[in-house]
Amino acid sequence: MSTAALTAHDDSPDHRASQRTAVFGMTIFLASEAMLFAGLIAGYIVLRLSSPAWPPSPDLPKLPVLLTGINTVFLIASSFAFHAAEVAVKKGKSGVAWLLVTVLLGSLFVGVQAYEWYHMHHEGLWFNQGGAYGATFFVLTGFHGLHVIIGVLMIAWALIRQLGGAYTAQSHTYLILAGMYWHFVDVVWLFLYSVLYLV
Amino acid sequence: MSTSATTFIPESGQAAAVEHGHDEQKQSFFSKYIWSLDHKMIGLQYLWTSFFFLLLGGLLAMGIRFQLAYPGMPVPLIGALLPSTIAIDGVILPGGYNMLFTMHATVMVFLVVMPLLIGGFGNYLIPLKIGAGDMAFPTLNAMSYWLYVLSGVIILASFFVDGGAAQSGWTAYAPLSSTPAYMNNTQMGQSLWCVGLFVNGLSSIAGATNYITTITNMRAPGMTMFRLPLSVWSLYLTAWLLILAVPVLSAAAAMLFADLNLGTTFFAAQGGQPLLWQHLFWFFGHPEVYIMILPAMGLVSEILPVFARKPIFGYKAMVWAMVAIGFLGFIVWGHHMFVSGMNLTLGAAFSVSTMIIAVPSAIKTFNWMGTVWRGSIEFTTPMLFALAFVSMFVIGGLSGIFMASTPVDLFVHNSYFIVAHIHYVLFGGSLFGAFAAIYFWYPKMFGRMMNETLGKIHFFATFIFFNLTFFPMHNLGLGGMMRRIADPTVYEHLRALQPINVFVTWAAFGMGLATFIFLWNFIWSLRHGKVAGKNPWKATTLEWTVPSPPGHGNFETTPTVYNGPYEYSVPGMAKDFLPQNERAPEGARLEVH
Ligand code: HEM
Ligand SMILES: [Cu+2]
Repeated sequence: MSTAALTAHDDSPDHRASQRTAVFGMTIFLASEAMLFAGLIAGYIVLRLSSPAWPPSPDLPKLPVLLTGINTVFLIASSFAFHAAEVAVKKGKSGVAWLLVTVLLGSLFVGVQAYEWYHMHHEGLWFNQGGAYGATFFVLTGFHGLHVIIGVLMIAWALIRQLGGAYTAQSHTYLILAGMYWHFVDVVWLFLYSVLYLV
Repeated sequence: MSTSATTFIPESGQAAAVEHGHDEQKQSFFSKYIWSLDHKMIGLQYLWTSFFFLLLGGLLAMGIRFQLAYPGMPVPLIGALLPSTIAIDGVILPGGYNMLFTMHATVMVFLVVMPLLIGGFGNYLIPLKIGAGDMAFPTLNAMSYWLYVLSGVIILASFFVDGGAAQSGWTAYAPLSSTPAYMNNTQMGQSLWCVGLFVNGLSSIAGATNYITTITNMRAPGMTMFRLPLSVWSLYLTAWLLILAVPVLSAAAAMLFADLNLGTTFFAAQGGQPLLWQHLFWFFGHPEVYIMILPAMGLVSEILPVFARKPIFGYKAMVWAMVAIGFLGFIVWGHHMFVSGMNLTLGAAFSVSTMIIAVPSAIKTFNWMGTVWRGSIEFTTPMLFALAFVSMFVIGGLSGIFMASTPVDLFVHNSYFIVAHIHYVLFGGSLFGAFAAIYFWYPKMFGRMMNETLGKIHFFATFIFFNLTFFPMHNLGLGGMMRRIADPTVYEHLRALQPINVFVTWAAFGMGLATFIFLWNFIWSLRHGKVAGKNPWKATTLEWTVPSPPGHGNFETTPTVYNGPYEYSVPGMAKDFLPQNERAPEGARLEVH
C-alpha cells in the first residue's frame, strides 16, 4: 500500500484499500489488547476464587456499585455519541459537536473513576492495602483508566483536526480507527464492571 | 513522508528517480539508516542489533560455564571488568551467577532469537516473497524496531543499577521474583526486567500486527494462501501466536512490577498466589517456544528443496502441521508445572496434550526427510545448517517427549536434562535455522556470497562443539545435577560429575570461538564475497526475481504469480526449476497448481 494513498483525500480505490488495511490492522491490534485484559481478568478470577472470602476481610470497604453503574452509563453514552459523530461525518457534516460530547463524557468517566480511587483510598483500600482485593481493583481499573485517557486524547485530537475540517464523508480513516478503539475500551469496561463490582 | 512504497528505485536507478521526481537517492543518513521506513533496511537493523546481543548473550554463557567448571577461581581476562554485583576481584559471586543465567536466557530469547528470526527475516522477506512493495504500515515497522532497541537498553541497564540485574531466572518464579525483601530491597534489576519485557512486547505486537495485515492484504495477484512459501506461512502463524500470547506476559510483568514497587500482593505467598505467576508465564511461555521455532522451521523448509532440487514433500501437510502446533501450543503450558503442586488428573491431561503436539512436529520432520530423500543434494553451508536443524530438532523433540511424561519429569525437572533439551531445540533448532537462513539469504541482502570454505569450517566447528557441549548435559541431568546452582562442587553427589562439567565448559569455549569465524566471514564477504547476481541458488520464490540487493519498492512492476513455491525438477521441463512468476511451459507436470 503506498503511503501516498494513506493521505489521499478522495474516493479512489487506492484510498478505500488503504482504509481497509488500516481497519484490519487495528482489529489485530485490538485482539492483542483483548488478550492483555484477558490476562489481567484471569489473574483476578484466580485470586478471587482462591480467597476464602471476598473481600478477604469484612473490614474492607465494598466497591460503590451504584455510582460506578452511573459512570458506566456515561461511558456507554460516549460510545453512542462517537457513533453519532461518525454518522454525521459520513453525511458530510462536521460532527464536531458529537465529538465534543464524546470527549466530555469520556473525561467525566475518568473524573468519576479518579474520585472513586480517592474515596477507596480514604476507606483503607490501596495497591498495598487490602491484599489481592486492593491490588486487583487498582491495577485492573488503572490499566483500563489509562486506556480511557488515551482514547479521550485520540478523540480530542480528532476534534481539533475536525475544527479545521480534516475529515470528509469519503476520507476519515483516523475517525474510524479511533472509534474502534473507543468502542473496544467501552466493551472491556462492561466486563470489568461485571466481574469487579457486580458479581 | 518522503518515501512512497510503491515507487521502484533500482540501485543505480537515476532514471527512475528522476522520472518519479522523488528524492530517495539523496536520502539523508538519518532517514536511510536510522529512521528507515524500508522493510529491508529495518530487517537489516534487526539483524545487526541481534548480532550484538548474540555476542553479549554468548559472553554471559561463557561466564556461566567458567563458573561451573572452576567455581571460586577469578575469571581470566575480563574478570576485573565485571560489575561488583557480579564478581569481586574477578571471582563470580553466587548472586552474580544468578544474574548471569537470568540475563543470558532473557537476552537470548527476547533480544536474539525473536528479533533475529522474526524481526530480521520476517521484515526482510515477507514483502519480497509475497510480491509487495513494503509492509502495510512502514512507520509502525520502524517504531517496532526502535522499541526493540529500547527494551534492549533497559535490560542492559539493569546490570548497573543498585543491587544488579534480575536473579530469578528468565522464568522469574514468584515469590522469589516478587518479594523485595528477598533482594535486600534492591528490586531495581527485577523491575527493569519487567519494564524491558513490557516494551519488548509492544515491539512484538507492533511487528506482528504488521505481518498479519501485510500477508493478508498485500499479496501479489495469483499469490493465493496455498502458494505462499512456507517461511511466510510460518511467520504468519508466529505473528498470531505473538498477538495472542505476548500480551499475557505483559499483563503478568505489569503485576510483578506492581508487586515489587507498589506493594501489591498478586504473587505473594500471603494474600496472593505464587502459582498464578507460573500459569500466566507459561500460558505465554509455551507458545513462546513455538514462536521461536516456527520461523526457523519455515526458513529451513525453504532451503531444503533448493539444495535437494525437489519440491517440498507434503506442502499442505506442512501448513496444517504448523497450524496444529500453533493451536495446541496454547493448551500444553501445564507441562512446565508438573512438580508445582498440580492436580494429578490435570497433569495427565497436560501430559497427553503435550504428547499430541509431538505428532505435527513429527509430520514436519518426516516431510523434511521426504524432501531430501533421493534428491540430488548439494551440501552448501546453508544446506548443512538446515540438515543439522532437522536432526538436532529431532533430538530436542525426543527429550521433550520424555519430559512430557509426568513420572519422568518428576525426576528430571529442574535438572540439566532440561537445559540439554532447551539448547537442542533453541540452539540446534532456532539458531541453526537462523544460520542456515543467513548463509542462504546473505547474497540477496548484500549482493555477495559468503565464503563457502569459512562457512563449512564454521558449520563443522559449531556442530561438533555444540553436541560436545550439550549432549553431556543429558547425563549431568540424569546424574542429578540441578540447574541454576552456582557451585556444583559443594554437593557431595555431584563431585563425580565435575569432570563432565569441565569438559562441557571447554567445548562451550570452542563453540564460542567458532562464532568469530562466522562474524569474520559475514563482514569480510560484504566487500570481498563473490558477486551473487539475482538468483545464485536457482530458487523459485519471488525475492530471487529481483536484483540483489533489491531496490527501494522491490518490484519494478507488481509480479503475477502462476505457480506454487517449490517447483523443482519439474517433469517435462528443460530448466530444473520454475520461478513463481513464470508460466509453466507446455507439457510441464507441476507439483501444485
Ligand atoms: C516435541 C516437542 C516438544 C516437547 C514435547 C517439549 C516438552 C517440554 C517439557 C515437558 C518441558 C518442561 C520440562 C520441565 O521443566 O520439567 C519443556 C521445557 C522447555 N522447552 Fe520444550 N518441548 C518441545 C519442543 C520445544 C521447542 C521447539 C522449544 C523451543 C524452540 C522448546 C523450548 C523449551 C524450553 C525453553 C523449556 C524450558 C523452560 C524453562 O523451564 O526454562 N521446547 N519442553
Ligand atoms: Cu512448553
